[in-house]
Formats: sequence, structure tokens, C-alpha cells
Amino acid sequence: MHDEHTDHLDTTPIVLLVDDSQFVHRLLDARLRSESIHLIGEFDGKTGFERAVSSKPALILLDLDMPVMDGFETLRVLKEDQTTRNIPVIVLSGMNSSQEKVTAFDLGAVDFISKPFELTELRSRVRSSLKMHALLEMLSQKAQIDGLSGLFNRSYFDDRLKEEYDRAIRHGHPLSIALIDLDHFKSINDTFGHPAGDTVISGVANIIIQESRSIDIACRYGGEEFVIIMPETDPHQAYTLCDRIRTHTESMSWASHPSRSVTLSVGVAGECDGSSISCTPSALVELVDRNLYQAKQGGRNTVKATYMSGSPIDIAKAG
Amino acid sequence: MGTEIPMTTPDPKAFSLDINDPEDAELIEYFLGELPDRVDSITIAASHDDFEELGRIAHQLKGAAPGFGFPEIGSAAASLEGEIRSLDDTTKDIETVRAQVEGLVSLCQSYINKKP
Repeated sequence: MHDEHTDHLDTTPIVLLVDDSQFVHRLLDARLRSESIHLIGEFDGKTGFERAVSSKPALILLDLDMPVMDGFETLRVLKEDQTTRNIPVIVLSGMNSSQEKVTAFDLGAVDFISKPFELTELRSRVRSSLKMHALLEMLSQKAQIDGLSGLFNRSYFDDRLKEEYDRAIRHGHPLSIALIDLDHFKSINDTFGHPAGDTVISGVANIIIQESRSIDIACRYGGEEFVIIMPETDPHQAYTLCDRIRTHTESMSWASHPSRSVTLSVGVAGECDGSSISCTPSALVELVDRNLYQAKQGGRNTVKATYMSGSPIDIAKAG
Repeated sequence: MGTEIPMTTPDPKAFSLDINDPEDAELIEYFLGELPDRVDSITIAASHDDFEELGRIAHQLKGAAPGFGFPEIGSAAASLEGEIRSLDDTTKDIETVRAQVEGLVSLCQSYINKKP
């Protein structure tokens, strides 16, 4: 069997075999050798589950009839755990009664292979499950991406904000978010056409990606609005980052309207210490929205940043 | 010997795998190499009337043997497993189980003896 520690950096999917029979390990090791997979193995349900958590396989082949923790119990544990829930499981069994199959599918198995194995069927079912898993992964990734800007979409933002917000409170770490709105965007669409407007949306998205750091989560919030979650970032640092986005955008030249620059306004709110956060994620969004409104009222092309309490940050300190 | 195997030398036709194929040959060799240990385990479990262990070994052989090219061992193991599992402790027909164990062991032994 392959050792995933030596060559896990490539994209070859890992397949985890959990079966108490050494014969089955040896058989599948030989029979799946020609497949583009790394086969790893465990001999009981408990270590099989632990290996699934640590190795994150793309597929699990699970025997039903194992001592101590049987296949059904292992399947139940795999499907209850957040980290292993989405890994497809093919049940291998010599029992083969309809009831066994129904129970396996009810517990979340994607397929059932009867022992003794028919070689071609085994390979086909493994390939088919791996393909389905890869497609589902791609689909779920695509479902989180905004097509025009290439940034994460609104629903991804909603999920991640809650996660990052809880994490900041739990660990007492800084957290800031920024809401960005393009100034007079409607007039760009009206004057130069929607394709020009689309170019501005994707161009500003590129600037946001260039100026933000790998830990930042940049999303398209809707229309001409963007939002950035900045973990481990106090509102002063968030202000500095957003002001870089603002100046970069202002200095851009646009091919379809060279004489018309694009500017944006930003509302920022954050906290230096997550343990002092007292509002809710939605109240935080309302606050950055208010700050954005004030940036607009203050003449646009500006960044308005406050603490989550609403008290203004010291701009001089932000540099 | 409870079961007669009609061959005296290793005959590729006796296996559902192709002994001339390197991958198949590797599996056949592995299985035959492991088989004596399994036969010992079966014999020991039978001598102690350890039906749970007998059932476990029979179950594993049932699932694995055909894949290694030994469907007859798989069938004999399946019969033994069925016999053990279908009887509860009070009515267990030990003689039938013993006869099935003997059949399985002699079948395995005949393949071991003809190991290439």
C-alpha cells in the first residue's frame, strides 16, 4: 500500500480501506494498483475513523462485519462527524441481504459491493464514486463563487462571517469587516453600457484581491457592493488596507472610459480584542452599512472606520 | 480426505485466475502462502469448539477465497459459516459443523499440497 505521507502532495485521490481481513487488503491492493489512487488501510472501525479524520480520503471502502466496532457503527460515526460526513463510503460485505443494503444506504453509504468481489465491477464502482465525489466538490466550490467577480458570493459571506465572528470571540482575537460600494456606478452603466460596468466590477474585484492578504475573505455582497472579512485585523489595520484599495481604484485607468475614473466608498468596523465584541454578526453588518452611508454622505471616495461600539478610530494611528 | 480434487499438478484451469498473469500469480501465491496458518487456526478453533472464531475465519475465507481464484474454498467456507450461524447454542449440531470443518480443511490441504 502507498504511504500518503510520502506523496500526498499530488492530487491523486486517497482511498481508505477499512476491513479486518488481511486477505481483502492484499486483494484490493493488487486489484486497484492500476487505478490512479493511493490505497491506505486500517483493520478496525475505530482506527479507520481516526485515519479518515487525519488523511481526509476521497473515498472509504468499509467492511460491515468487523469485531468490536462493526461497519454500521463506523458508518454512523463517520456520518455524524463534521470532518468525515461528506466522504463517500462504499460498503463491502459478504452478508448481502437486502436488509443489510437498505441499512447501509439509510446510514449514508453511496454504494454497496458484495463479497466475493467481481473485479470489473469493483473497479467501476470505485471509479464512479471517485468521479461523483470530485464533481460534487467542484459544484460545492462553484456554488460559493460569484461568476462575474470571481470572489466568494453572498451566501458564503454569511456563513464565514458567523464562523470568524465566533472564532474571534472564542479566542479574544481582533476582527474587522469592510463594506465597499462603488460611487455613482449606475451612471457608468448608463453612460458606457453594461459591459463597461461589468469590467469595472471585475476590475475592482482584482484590486481587492491584490491589496488584501491571504487570510482575508473577499466577497461580492451584491450589485456594486463588496465585503471583506478581515480576521486577526484591528480596525486601524483594516482602515489602512481599505484605503489602499480606495487609492488603487481611484488611480486605475479604464479602457472603455479613460477619462472617467472610478471611485469607491468604504465602511469599516472592527474590534482589537474579540472578547470585547458584544453585538451580533448582523448588527456588525448594520454598523458597517451605517459607516458606509456616512462615507457617502461625507463626499464619497473615502473610508469611514469605527470600533464595533461605533466610536471612531484614530486615523493618525492607522497611518 | 473428505473432498477429491481431480488434479495432480497445478493446472491453470483449476483457478479462476490466470497463473500466467503476474498479478494473478502473485495473489495465488499469497493466498496459498497464508492458507496453512488459516487451516491451523480452523483446526485449533474446532478442537476447542470455538464456534465464534470458526465462524469468523469461515466468513473471511468466504469473502476472500474466490477473489484469489479459489471459489471452491469460498463455497465450503460459506457452508460452514451458514451452518454455524443458523444454529443457536442449544441446538447446535456439532457433528455437522465438524464434518464441514473437515471438508474445508481437506479442501484447503489439497490446494496447499499442490502449491506450485
